[in-house]
Amino acid sequence: MVAFDKCETRPAHIEAILNGLDRYNPETTTVFQDYVALQCEDRTFDCYANLALLKLFQFNPHLIQPDTVTNILAKALTVFPSPAFSLCLALLPTSTQPFPTTSEAQSASQTSDFVESVQKLTRLSTLLESAQYAQFWSTLNSDDLYADLTADVAGFEELVRIRIAVEVGNTFRSITAENLESWLDVRSRDALNKFVVDVCGWKVDGDVIRVPTNKENEARSEVKSEHVGIEQFGRVIRRGFELPA
Amino acid sequence: MSYEDRANARPNLNDESDNEEEAMVNDYREQVNFDDGMSELDQTMSHGASQAHDLQAQLAAAATPLEYQATLETKFASYDNYCSLFHYILNSDGPVDLEVPNYYWAWEVIDEFIYQFESFCRYRNRVACTGSNEEESQLLRENPNTWGCYSVLNVLYSLIQRSQISEQLNATKRGEDPMAVAGEYGSRPLYKMLGYFSIIGLLRVHCLLGDFSLALKILDDVEMNKKAMFARVMAAHFTTYYYVGFSYMMMRRYGDAIRMFSHILVYVSRTKNFQKGGNNYEAIAKKNDQMYALIAICVALHPTRLDDTIHSAVREKYGEQFYRMQKGGPEALPVFEELFRSSCPEVHQPHSSRLRQPRLQR
Repeated sequence: MVAFDKCETRPAHIEAILNGLDRYNPETTTVFQDYVALQCEDRTFDCYANLALLKLFQFNPHLIQPDTVTNILAKALTVFPSPAFSLCLALLPTSTQPFPTTSEAQSASQTSDFVESVQKLTRLSTLLESAQYAQFWSTLNSDDLYADLTADVAGFEELVRIRIAVEVGNTFRSITAENLESWLDVRSRDALNKFVVDVCGWKVDGDVIRVPTNKENEARSEVKSEHVGIEQFGRVIRRGFELPA
Repeated sequence: MSYEDRANARPNLNDESDNEEEAMVNDYREQVNFDDGMSELDQTMSHGASQAHDLQAQLAAAATPLEYQATLETKFASYDNYCSLFHYILNSDGPVDLEVPNYYWAWEVIDEFIYQFESFCRYRNRVACTGSNEEESQLLRENPNTWGCYSVLNVLYSLIQRSQISEQLNATKRGEDPMAVAGEYGSRPLYKMLGYFSIIGLLRVHCLLGDFSLALKILDDVEMNKKAMFARVMAAHFTTYYYVGFSYMMMRRYGDAIRMFSHILVYVSRTKNFQKGGNNYEAIAKKNDQMYALIAICVALHPTRLDDTIHSAVREKYGEQFYRMQKGGPEALPVFEELFRSSCPEVHQPHSSRLRQPRLQR
């Protein structure tokens, strides 16, 4: 596992800004914004750098670029399940928080497009994280706004599909093709079989997809044993031999 | 050391010997005595009086809590007092020659500085929301940098850089002499202590601003064990583990969060008898309960076998809620929310943009 502050695809000039005090310098905002655009194009994701940009927006609210923010959130969806989405959310202005308390909900009757976008992306994140995959796809396809929000992220659907497949692989040994079709939003059986075999390396067995054993989906019996060494009782034994005061 | 390493460097909870406990007790007694000393100093100091470098008074003021009902004027004056003190320490011609009271003083200066920043944010937000006091909003609009986050971060980062504390900690970690890299400033206890506690201060500030990964990143150089410098001041020890545990929790590294909370909760339960009667006992007891709530949340999400003392304390304090969270389902959600709300640090908006257009907010 790569440490959370590292990213293999991060260019040197971004690394330098992140490690110095320039990460607080509002003038670096544009550098980070270009970097977000690059990540959208080349399908990479650098959570730590994107959080630094959101922090600059947090400190300098007049610089905030709603499109960049929603792109960062959309990119964060493509790395689920990870804390990326919620970490990003924590740095957004309170007015955009998608989980208002009752008093805030009443005052937030008028919402801007930006707030609505954040709420929509959060809805997608919740569906992914609660493994409601079929509902995720139907929601995504239900409104043109979703298409707008993910338009800048190259290969958005493909990236999410792969992450869903990884989660399925971690959970199942076999699964019906019908279920998997709806979870991956693959329209035809042929396309599903191709995806499953070529991308995932799984096997098709009639109407059932078989997932080879991996570290996560293997049934293991847990061996519970405790090793208690004599030295752990040292103090008790010593106390036992102490002379009464 | 990378995060992974530190995450794997488990605090050894079984290494307590009688000697160490004895040492903890003595440390604690020392702190209590120190607090008594401070209150005598309080009586001799006056807020916002002549800035003619009545240094001892300034030093004492910097470590003294503001009154709860302090006026806006007092808050501004207190900010000015910090600014002039830190300016003097950081920007004099060479390191200043000051007798530093001790570790506790250094911790309290940073702690109080951040506490006042935090309460000022809360206050500014309240004025912005209610919009009732036009005079105060006007004053706040005219002074956007007073207790602004850039000013506060600037102080903390400057103290860290001046003291070369990161270099010193890294040298210690490699088994080298920290003095060799400490430089003209960092070799003096004043700078070293302020620098060190500024790291802990940044951990807290980043948490309060909702940046949990940066909060953890700041602690890269700090070793998390009982030999660390923060462990010499009970409040610092406690605060560090609370915020580190909380940051891990927000990063969804529940196993790490549980380890951090367990470590400090075990420590507190062992020193409990010596804290009773201490003047920050109530604050510690409250945070302690909050950490039990947070650990209950973490264990519900990430089943782990807890230390027996902790487990029975969780059952005693939050038995019903703990059971419902572990059972899961939609009924558990309000319990998670309730415990989280009552135990998380209050996260703040760092700027006063809402002040500029109070009408637009409604």
